[in-house]
Order: sequence, then C-alpha cells, then structure tokens
Amino acid sequence: MTALACEGVTVTYGDVVALRDVSVGFDRARIHAVVGQNGAGKTTFARVCAGIVRPSGGRLTIGDEAVPVGSVRASRRSGVELVHQSFALPPSFTVAEALEFGSIERTAPVYSRRALERRWADHLASLDVPARLGDRIRDLPVETQQAVEIARALVSDARVLILDEPTAVLAPPAIERLFARLRRLQQSGVTVLVILHKIREVLAVAETVTVLRAGSLVERLLPAAGMRPADLAHAIVGTTGATDDGVTPSIHAAAESTARAALELAGASTRATPEGPALADVTLRVGCGEIVGIAGVEGNGQRTLVNALAALAPLESGRMTLAGKDVTRAPLLDRRARGLRIIPFERNVEGLSLGSALWQNWSARLLVAGRMLRLIDPQRLRSASRNALERWSVRFASVDQPASTLSGGNAQKVILAREIDDDATLIVAAQPTRGLDIAAMAFVWQALRDARARDCGVIVISSDLDELFDISDRIVVLVSGRVAGEFRAPYDLRAIGATMTAAHA
Amino acid sequence: MTSRLLTVGRALAFVAIALLGCAIVFQLAGYPSAGMFGAIVAGAFIAPHAIVHTLRWAMPLFITAVGVLVAFRCGYFNIGAQGQFYFGAIAAAFVADAFGGGPPVFVIPLAIAAGVAGGALWALWPGFLRVRFGTDEVITTLMGNFIAALALLYVASGPLKDASGSGEVAAARPVAAALRIATSSGVSFTLVAIVVVIGVLMWLVVDRTAFGVLGSLAGRNPVMVVWQGARSSRIGLAAFLFSGGLAGLAGALELLGPSGRLLGGFAPTLGFSAILIALVAGLSVPATAVVSIFFGGLAAASLYLPVIAGYPAAAIDIINAAITLLITARAWPSFTRRSRAAA
Repeated sequence: MTALACEGVTVTYGDVVALRDVSVGFDRARIHAVVGQNGAGKTTFARVCAGIVRPSGGRLTIGDEAVPVGSVRASRRSGVELVHQSFALPPSFTVAEALEFGSIERTAPVYSRRALERRWADHLASLDVPARLGDRIRDLPVETQQAVEIARALVSDARVLILDEPTAVLAPPAIERLFARLRRLQQSGVTVLVILHKIREVLAVAETVTVLRAGSLVERLLPAAGMRPADLAHAIVGTTGATDDGVTPSIHAAAESTARAALELAGASTRATPEGPALADVTLRVGCGEIVGIAGVEGNGQRTLVNALAALAPLESGRMTLAGKDVTRAPLLDRRARGLRIIPFERNVEGLSLGSALWQNWSARLLVAGRMLRLIDPQRLRSASRNALERWSVRFASVDQPASTLSGGNAQKVILAREIDDDATLIVAAQPTRGLDIAAMAFVWQALRDARARDCGVIVISSDLDELFDISDRIVVLVSGRVAGEFRAPYDLRAIGATMTAAHA
Repeated sequence: MTSRLLTVGRALAFVAIALLGCAIVFQLAGYPSAGMFGAIVAGAFIAPHAIVHTLRWAMPLFITAVGVLVAFRCGYFNIGAQGQFYFGAIAAAFVADAFGGGPPVFVIPLAIAAGVAGGALWALWPGFLRVRFGTDEVITTLMGNFIAALALLYVASGPLKDASGSGEVAAARPVAAALRIATSSGVSFTLVAIVVVIGVLMWLVVDRTAFGVLGSLAGRNPVMVVWQGARSSRIGLAAFLFSGGLAGLAGALELLGPSGRLLGGFAPTLGFSAILIALVAGLSVPATAVVSIFFGGLAAASLYLPVIAGYPAAAIDIINAAITLLITARAWPSFTRRSRAAA
C-alpha cells in the first residue's frame, strides 16, 4: 500500500532546477529517510508533498487518491503534515493555542484558555510531550518545541508525517528520544518521511533510504537494513572516499605552548542575557595555528561567549587580548580590524540578510570598514564576490540573487567565504555545520584546518562531540558559563561527558 | 537592473489598472471616461505650458520622494516628509526674510541650507527616539506632520505675517524678488539644475556608497550588519537626516521658487504623494525620477479635468486614492518593516 507518491515532479526556481522529474512512492506505516547534500532538493521535495511548493510538472498521490499540487489545504486534508526545519509555531502562543490553531478544522470564534486546555490534554498526554498546555512556546526548550510541533502536526489524524531535518537542532540524547517517538508513531500506523543528512542517523532510524542528488532521484527506497555507511555516502556524494560523516580524522601536532596567542581571555565575566547564563571568570587562550573546541550542553554560556568575543555583550570584569593587543573596551569594528572573524550561531539572522543580494552579503565585511560615504564600485564588488563564491564552490546562478534562494549549506559557504580570509587572526565558528550535509561539513572542517595551517587561531563551538574530537587540538568544556574542564587528545568521551553534565547531576 | 525595470513596469501597470477602474466608475456616474483620459494627457503634456506645469510639480515631488526612499531602504518608515517639507520652507522663509536685502548669491544658498537643516532637524528627533529607545517612527513622524502644519500656520500668521494681506488666508510676507529662483510658473534653469544635481548625488549615495549598500542590508536585516561591526544607530540617524534634509530642501526650493511666500497649508499632499512615488518606483532613484514626472503630470492635469471634461476637481483625488490602494497592496512586501525585537 502506498501512502504517498510523486510522479514526474519538477520544480524550478528561476534558473535553478531544484527537482528534476522525481517519481517515488512511499509504503504505508514505515519510516522512510530522504537524504542528499545541501541543495539536493530535499526541503523542496518535502514542500511539494505538503503542498507549499507548486511544481511546474508532475502529479501527487496521497493514499491512492490524486491530490492537486501546490495546495496546502488539499495536502493536509489528505493527511500530510510537515514539521518545518525552523519551527513555525508562533512563539507567543501557549501549547494549547498552538494545537488548536494548528488544526485545519474550523475553530470556534470565541474560546477560553481553560476550554482549550481541557480539549487538548489527552492528545498531549498520549504523545508523551513534556510540556504543560499553558506554557508559552517561546519558553520551551528546543527539543520540547519540536515535540509540540509534532503533536501539532498530528492533531487532525495525520497519516503521513514529514520532518525536515528534525535532528539539526537536537543534542544526541534528544535525537534518540525523537527516534523513539517516530518509531511509536510508525507502530500506530503513521507513515513517517524524515529528511536527514547524517548517515549514522539514517541507519539508526530509517527502514528505507531515498537519495536525491542535485535535484534528481538517484536511489529509490533502498532497504536500510544491512546497508554499509560507505555505500550510502557514495550514493549521496556521487564519489567515493568519504568516511562516515565525511570527516577524516587527523592528528595535528600543535606546538601550542610556544605559539603566539591569537586570543587571550583573562577572568572574563559578563551579565546574563536572555540567550543564556553569564560568563563567570572565563580564562581562555587560543594560540595561533590552534583549534580549540568548546564543548558543553547547549545553553551553558556558549552564546554569551560568542557575544562577548564580538563585543556585543560587554565584559563586567576581565580582559581580552586579540593578537597581542588589548581589545577589552574595543567595539566589534576595531576587533574585526584586528582580524576577528565570526561565523555566528544564527546563519539566517546574524550571518546573512536573506532579502539582500549575495554580493551585498559578501561585501558587508569590507563595507563596514572605512568611511560610510566613500564611493564604491558595485561592479568590482560583484565580480570579487563572484570569484570568492566560486572559490568556495557555492551553488548560485548570479551574485544578484537574494541569499534566501540558497540552501542551508550554500548559505553557510557564503558566510565562510566572507569570514575566512587571509587577514583573519581568530575565527570563531559557532555551530558551523548545523544543518549541513556530509560534503558541506567536510568542506567546513577543511576550511577551518586550512585557516589553522595559515597560523590562524580557531574557536569551534559545537554540540556534536564527534565533530569536536575530530577537529580540535584542545577541548574546553563550558558549564553554566564557567570553564569546567580542559581536555587534550586522545579524548576520553566518558570524562568529557561527565564534565559536561556534572552540573546537572 | 532588469528586475528593477520589471518592478517599475509592474507598478505602472497597476497605475493603468487604477485609471481604468476610475474611468469605469466615472462613466457609470455620468461623466464621459474618454474625456478623462483626454484631459489628463492634455493637462499633463499637450496643452500650452502643460509640460511646465508637470515639471513644476514633478521636481519637489522627486526631491521629497528620494528622501523617503533613503529612509525606506534603510528600514525606517519615515512618513513625516510633509512636516519636514514644511519645516524646510519655514527655515528658508526666516532666512529670506531676515536677509531680504542682502546679496542673492549669499542669501539664496544660505536659505536653501537653512531649509535642508530645518527638514533634517524635524527628522532628527524621531530618528533619535527610534535608534535610542525603539520608539515607533511611524507614530512620531506622522504626529510631526500635524505639529509642522500648525507651526506653518503660526509662522505665516504670526512672526512673518503679511500686514497687507486680507487675513482670510494665513499668508507670510513674500520673498524678495531678487531671491526668487523661479517665477510662479515653477520652472527655471537654476531650479532644474539644482534638482538634477541633487538627483545624481543621491543616486550615487544610494547605489554607490558603503552607506547605501549597508543601509539596504540593514533595512532587510539590522542584526546582520551589527554582527559585521556596523554601528546601526549611526546608519539609522544618517537615514533620517538624509530623508528629512531632502524634504526640507524641497520645501526651501518651493518657497524660493513657485510659491514665493509661506501660505498656511500649502501643497498639503506633497509629502504623501512622495511616499507613493518612492514605492511605485521600487525605491530606485532613476525610477523615482520617471514616476515623479508621471505624478507631476497628474497634478498638472487636475487643473484641466474640471475645465475641459467638466469633472469635479475631486476626481484627481479619487484617482490618486485608487492608485494608492493598488500600489500599496503590491509594493510593501519587497521591503518588510524591521521588527521591534531586532532593535
């Protein structure tokens, strides 16, 4: 029995073909993975199924019934629900309100909060979501928000649930819990389509694997059982040579004790921000040509640390030295002039202006330095940005296209192309691979290693310990805004894990 | 460039639809619609001196609209161009009155500079409140319009009151003839030259300076430029100052040119038409010039509609309103308002 089928689906955005003649049918009550590199068309595929994107050609069948393409209403009526990559629930809603207004059934024009909470109590309990119905969405941790979003998708008896890169925002234990949740849904008869890009996760949860490459379907419904990671990597990338997650471990002999310091943070403390706890007496040294990994459970001061380095959270006490110069009171512009580069946490908010042209996004770093009313040559900046983006193998049609037209991995490469230059002395990379596929990840790690080879200091903040183990010369663990421990290779996973969670035990 | 032409073309198509809709309504109301189109074209371009009338309105509209455009691009919805225009005219009038007998070579530039400063100051306080405290600039600049209109009434019937006037209209003493840069026809070489120079300069500022590009980045995502190290409050204040300064310049030129004196409530819709023009033009300076001439033509034609086609004078207001409705429905999404949370 087929739960959802596409036939000959083609989607084009301007000059870019996002999906080319994709035909596939997913069996009922199973977990199907859809994988591919960034820009392979995974999200577009999900959106076609959900009716958000209208393909230029092709048919959509849901539960053996033809459904008009490009109609969210029609797709949802037929039981297809999409859980978005970035959550789409209104932050100011309570959980009960999100469930009520997420359903497509007609809601009463007047309602009371208590009536809503009564109405949805059973639903939330049956899905085992650890949230109260009166909680506001914005106050919930990311993992719970996602659980609520899944619950929202299931309010009107969904038969096909599509999740677009649900693991990108989750810590490892939360990923396990998500997979358990998906298996329970599958057992209750729901067909699950999950878009993933980590091979390990695919093999952990999926029963079949479908691979997209550059908009075309290259593998259809391969059984996941017994599949070798290398084979799957080959199918995704189209070349051999990638190991699991595409990252080749390397041992880097950093002569860190003798190297000059790219960054010295001495006794740095800040105030708490809405984004996380205060930094408390953080002392951190990053040598030139050294990669320091910052490990920690999310929300333990990583964001505050990046804000403090960027001079966006003022230091209450302590000193900061960048490449030998005291910058404790210097604004970000001066720090950038000293070679500070930042790959921020929020790619689409802090990193790029999505509505603006690629060349403007790329040029921003050059434009902020110098007098504001000086004349510039847009043509020169256009061609310079075209060269840079090509060198960083960004998939784009024109430097005049808005950044919003790029996939997540390509967008991240635009930021790398801007932030990693020859004048960089300290690169702060906050979750640089979040939401990226294996090829793009390998690309990012290689870029950071190259920067290290040029004698640049690098700080990598990641919630993925495997990643940090691979790339870091040294790992510093943050707990509640304090440095709780420092580790050197070979890394002891259990010791680091214990340090990370000590404050929670 | 082609995409921008497309935007303008699409906007002009909406204008055409608006005109067509109006024609149908007028026809049903018993006015010959063919006469409407004829009168508009005649009044704007064909009748004797029609081109002059069109330019007379197109020039202040253009200068003001370019000011609006700068603020909009940077993400600030300065809708106070009308008030800034008035304060420009008031400041210029004070200078012209105080130095009426001085050498025009000095007094005229001084009056114009005063106009620019007056308009800029009337935009500075909403700008300061916006970047410092996050006060909604839509409210402050809109309210500023009412204050400016009352200030104009006060100045024209108080400090600069024309003693020889009838008193029915608040009218100030006329500007000395030697200081006028255009007659009441509103077009002269000096005036056109100033407008062209300012237009080119502002095109450079918007398209060819670091401020222009960063401003448009900030207009779409203020957080991103902060992470690049830009001081967003400075970009914001500069946007307000440019915006108000240009409206003030238009006010000064209007005073020293066609108006020749302050009149209570003169050119009452100019600042709002300028907003419309900037949006129709897709916030591009060259397109703003073209669209300004079109709207200047409509303004000129409003004199002809009653005379030639027997339409009530309010017909032009109805046409303008119809255009506004269609354009705003179309033009807003391209530049979204920056959210309060981002400030």
